[in-house]
Amino acid sequence: MNTSSVESRRVFSSIPCDPSLLSGVLRLLAWLDELPKGATGVLKFGAEGVILLEARRICWAMTRQMRFRLTDILRHQSTPPLPREAIEEIYRRCQQTGKPIGEALVAGGLVSEQGLRAALLKHIGEALAQLAKLSLTPDSFVNHTRSGYDPRFAFSACELLAMYGALDDPARAAAAQLELAGNVVPGSVGAAFVRSSSASGAQVIAADRGCDLAVHDLNALCNWAAGLFDVARTFDPEVRAARANWGNNGALVTWRTKDVGYIGVCSSRAAAACLFSNIVEPGARASGVVRAAPRSGDGAP
Amino acid sequence: MATLARGRTSFGDQPLLELVCCTASMHSGLLLEDCPQPVARERLGELAATLPELFGTLDPSCLDRISEGLGDHAKGQTFAEIVLLSDQYLHVIQPLRARPGVALLAVSPCGVSVGLVLSEFHARVAALEDK
Repeated sequence: MNTSSVESRRVFSSIPCDPSLLSGVLRLLAWLDELPKGATGVLKFGAEGVILLEARRICWAMTRQMRFRLTDILRHQSTPPLPREAIEEIYRRCQQTGKPIGEALVAGGLVSEQGLRAALLKHIGEALAQLAKLSLTPDSFVNHTRSGYDPRFAFSACELLAMYGALDDPARAAAAQLELAGNVVPGSVGAAFVRSSSASGAQVIAADRGCDLAVHDLNALCNWAAGLFDVARTFDPEVRAARANWGNNGALVTWRTKDVGYIGVCSSRAAAACLFSNIVEPGARASGVVRAAPRSGDGAP
Repeated sequence: MATLARGRTSFGDQPLLELVCCTASMHSGLLLEDCPQPVARERLGELAATLPELFGTLDPSCLDRISEGLGDHAKGQTFAEIVLLSDQYLHVIQPLRARPGVALLAVSPCGVSVGLVLSEFHARVAALEDK
């Protein structure tokens, strides 16, 4: 097991790995998809909880029954734990200045950007899991005109979906995230999926930061890509990549490695050509010539 | 035959391009022409059989919504071209605008430029569309 998988298990261990949770979270995230793209404000669930959004990205979520505070998560995700006094000192300063504590911790060098993102994702993940478990629906959305959250520490609904999908195999999800990071090009957003025994169809396990598709559209594209590799077996079991164009500019690139499938949604034909070229073996990148050279396993995603 | 062609074309020092094309029904998944090459016929026949699945399972509103985010507000979007790549073959599917419900299919062994294959394929599509 590599370092990232150990870290992932530690970070997400308090969120139950439960198929029914995923469907509940999907229902919850669908509410966010219904909001306008620039929605900034608070989605309220009565007295039970809130989700704070900026440009429809999730900045914060809280419920009455949260087990951990963000500062607890931050303290204990490093070894040895961060000193409580140092965190409390920054907390006091943030109370005076109104600056978000997480960002102040990063600025003060106590937490890395990646560490804060992981802690926030865990915190928000726990909150959404609780709201999903209670089958709550939002009762109001209060618009805010003031914005101020650092976009580096806000998450798309797709990233949250991927976080839950990654729970049953964090190491595989971490590897998929690396594969995405190594291939996605400007003008494209990507996600990774597996065939789930518990969920029907594809289960999203990784999404890049820019992936802000509606979650049901992301699921639909992943299901289509999974189906493509299934039916391709009838005429060529070794099909490992595909590109599908639509409309004036849109394109979907999909590929697979072992049991994980990937999609890249491209905003231009040029981005699609670049991504498609990236996933062909390195020798072909310069020449555009595809040669017979095995790269992937034959397991279907 | 007008829409069936087996092309072998040499472009400078590039390897020979071998591209076999055939039209097929996107509804029935059947080839609409005979193909003199048994191996290609079998392969294209199997590719044709997947057309109803490839073009009929994704809700068009999904592509519409994504397109809208890209500034394209057309409705009822569907895939206009699908390219499938393996270590041995490149397969291409393109629905014909002039013949709704019909797509041109092609298969080419790998070893030549993808761009070259697609250029030749697009030329065949254009020739069919112009008829």
